[in-house]
Amino acid sequence: MLKQIMNTFLFGALVMSSGFSLAQWTPDVEAWNSPTPQQPEAVVFRNATVWTADDGGILENADVVIRDGKIDGIGSDLRTPSDAIEIDASDMHITPGIIDAHSHAAILGGVNESSRISTADVRIRDVIDPESINIYRQLAGGVTAINLLHGSANAIGGQMSVIKLRWGREPDQLVIDSAPPGIKFALGENPKQSNWSNDNPRYPRTRQGVNQIILEKFQKAADYQRSVEGMPSGRAARNVVPPRPNHELAAIAEILNGERGIHSHAYRSDEMLALMNLAEEFDVTIATFQHVLEGYKIAPRMAAHGVGGSTFIDWWAFKYEARDAIGFNPALMHQAGVLTGLHSDNPELARRMNLEAAKAVRYGQVDEHEALKMITLNPAAQLGIDDRTGSLAEGKDADVVVWNGHPLSVYSRVEQTWVDGRRYFDRAADQRMREQLAAERAELLALVLAEGEESDDDDSGDEQSESPAEEETTPGFRSFAAHLTSGAQQHTHLHGFAAHLIGYRSSELSHDDFCLFHFE
Amino acid sequence: MMISMLKKATPTTLVLAILLTSATASWADVLVLTGATVHPVSSDAIENATVVVEDGKISAIGSDLQWSAEAEVIDLSGLHLYPGFVHPATQLGLSEISSVAGTVDTSEMGSINAAIRAEVAINHDSMLLPTTIAGGVLIAHVMPNGGLIQGTSAVVNLDGWSWEDMVIRSPVGMHLEFPTAAVDDDQNDDLQTIEKVLDLARHYQRATQAAAEEGTTAPPRNSQLEALVPLINGDQTLFLRANRYDVMEKALDWADEQGFDNVVLMANADVQYIAERLAEDDTPVILRNVYAMPTRRWEPYDMAYVAAAKLAEAGVRFAIADSGTGMDLANARNLPFHAGSAAAHGLEKSDALKTVTLWPAEILGVGDQLGSIEVGKRASLFAATGDALEPMTRIERVWIDGAEYDLSRDSGRSLYPRYQERNAEVQAR
Repeated sequence: MLKQIMNTFLFGALVMSSGFSLAQWTPDVEAWNSPTPQQPEAVVFRNATVWTADDGGILENADVVIRDGKIDGIGSDLRTPSDAIEIDASDMHITPGIIDAHSHAAILGGVNESSRISTADVRIRDVIDPESINIYRQLAGGVTAINLLHGSANAIGGQMSVIKLRWGREPDQLVIDSAPPGIKFALGENPKQSNWSNDNPRYPRTRQGVNQIILEKFQKAADYQRSVEGMPSGRAARNVVPPRPNHELAAIAEILNGERGIHSHAYRSDEMLALMNLAEEFDVTIATFQHVLEGYKIAPRMAAHGVGGSTFIDWWAFKYEARDAIGFNPALMHQAGVLTGLHSDNPELARRMNLEAAKAVRYGQVDEHEALKMITLNPAAQLGIDDRTGSLAEGKDADVVVWNGHPLSVYSRVEQTWVDGRRYFDRAADQRMREQLAAERAELLALVLAEGEESDDDDSGDEQSESPAEEETTPGFRSFAAHLTSGAQQHTHLHGFAAHLIGYRSSELSHDDFCLFHFE
Repeated sequence: MMISMLKKATPTTLVLAILLTSATASWADVLVLTGATVHPVSSDAIENATVVVEDGKISAIGSDLQWSAEAEVIDLSGLHLYPGFVHPATQLGLSEISSVAGTVDTSEMGSINAAIRAEVAINHDSMLLPTTIAGGVLIAHVMPNGGLIQGTSAVVNLDGWSWEDMVIRSPVGMHLEFPTAAVDDDQNDDLQTIEKVLDLARHYQRATQAAAEEGTTAPPRNSQLEALVPLINGDQTLFLRANRYDVMEKALDWADEQGFDNVVLMANADVQYIAERLAEDDTPVILRNVYAMPTRRWEPYDMAYVAAAKLAEAGVRFAIADSGTGMDLANARNLPFHAGSAAAHGLEKSDALKTVTLWPAEILGVGDQLGSIEVGKRASLFAATGDALEPMTRIERVWIDGAEYDLSRDSGRSLYPRYQERNAEVQAR
């Protein structure tokens, strides 16, 4: 423990010697009030255990050199620029940033556009919340990129967005433009609306119907595309009414052209088989099955199709279709040659994905390095961003996590998280933030108390104000916090993890209500 | 820590013959677990040690024991032997699949459910139980959850032929959800309802007593009021639930005014803010859920992770639970990882292990039977490949009251080899 603390201080001290402004970077709890961390020209991490999540394997006592936001070298005796910021990472472990292929953590509400059975026209890119506190918290858990998906209310959902966790930048600046476009699909209980009453029942009500509606949409999209492509060009076009633009079918047509990947929420093996068969009829390869709880039952078939499996390691039994989920699912898919990743689908779980990977070692004895790939390289490959991130290799983005111990150990903690060579999370900086917030709180409290004394006789009728007698008997922090919380919106409609949370924006607590229906 | 510990009573050399109790017919009924690194919890780990089990109880622990060839000897070399984890607060057994209403018996309607006993609806064949056991969680405190006065809870073995067979201790205590809105409103309707019912129970008890002793007319039987008599007499623990530090303080003040001396606070991470008071009053705590978002948006990211360390620092007696409901029901097997993560954020590792073994056992009144590997305690144990709080560790064997548990009852452990074989076959074609 002491050693960990010492190391934390050491980081601060060493960095301060090389770059004052970088060392003093302090985030704020509000993203808009946090300065964007600098991107130093060169950084070198010394003497770490480096988990490359690549063919490089695990390297002991290795250095990692970052230059201009990219990884410049990994190994020992590397040439490093004289002005590089040196970080002593002895006794530390370095891994690539964690990639979460299933997230709703930074969406400005409306995770589910639950109206139509197909909402292929709606786009997450329009509703990215770059200031969500979830982003900062997930950086603190070592996550550097996430796939923002719609919920699972529709057989064909909306267009997803793969983002880097560049907290506080403009929404478009978070988007990884090189990521291939993707779209959310959903099969099973959610699109067929099994678990809630609907005043206006919607087709379909069965798994067969879900498959049928997707087939019909594919056919319509193919027809639409033919009519668009059949439009004559030049002078001949003047005599023909062009087809009315249809953004939904246009997006589905992109799927049929292989330009937009399907990422389909699915639990049971039967529904996944049906979708693979349907996709193959149209010469489409599904990018991933999301959740894919029974993937282990059809893993060879998945491998033959070429679909990736993005799964929970151990969530099960929350719905009937999650009954046969087992912790061994990632191991079995991996053994069959399926590109296997682990995802969160939950902003709290996303903060400790390393422990989800550890469970892949527990259930089925997946090799530790392979298990780490399930939260780094493999999800990056599933999202088509593995040329940029997901492993530590020369030329890739410097998305790097520094751990104070074995990255899959329950006793380890993230010390620093770098995105594009910018240190977006640092325990030492976080500590400075706490001190600043405490000072600001004390200052505000003094002002509130001073005002309270001045307005003793002024019964303003403000419902929030407490009587002076109560103020005096309540210690400062409590009084102030009570003041802040008394008027806070209570998200009583939210289930489970969000039930008692205070001060959050509702969008920060929004998740796929349909996926995890029926929390107590 | 003010937790009492049994004295370590394990001389290194014992001649086992003298240990055979009269109830044990012969050596053939003796189970000898050898070679493991034993983690007694109540004391330091012992390498290459032997644990002897008779009649479902631990009868000897040591590194130089002798036994007859007739005894059943199991070699656990290379493994680590731990006492079963004790889940301090859950509704396991009361719900199977939370989205299928017919399988859910977690929350009765109405405000006053004092006579509800959680254990009478435990499905002993729930598919969730083998999976929980395969995670080393062998014992659980199963609690009711409906209304304001919610009923009584029980400590149960997670394996048995019926709920009656599973019960270890019942009732453990009366559960009460303190109304959040009562924090600054003494006229709060819910709080007044609770107080009125408690007063009725006091009158009911006096009238019943008078009828017995003085022959006055007995009041009509009322099971809800009857169920509250042990609580108001001070014979039963009150499990007080609150999830904001100011509500917790108010709830504790209120319990004090009501004359309840025997209180266990069940609370979320906010409990860290009243740690000093809890230590001073020696009020035990069940900390529900380490894996939680900070209660307030502006709080540090690790606010919930450090709660356990703050309680330990202040000297509070506590146990670590998960949320005990919802998604956590099917994943009660992850209980040890909550404790492990608390250790990543300041809690001593040895204390972390205690928060899910000995300390919950003591807080729940079964510390003399469970929670550590000590002579005389129930032989509910598991053997693991390493540190039991590490998610990478595998649990290899389990014994409940001395009987080995068939881990293939866990759906994962039976489906894994089945599909491993099937998939290999398919791919060999």
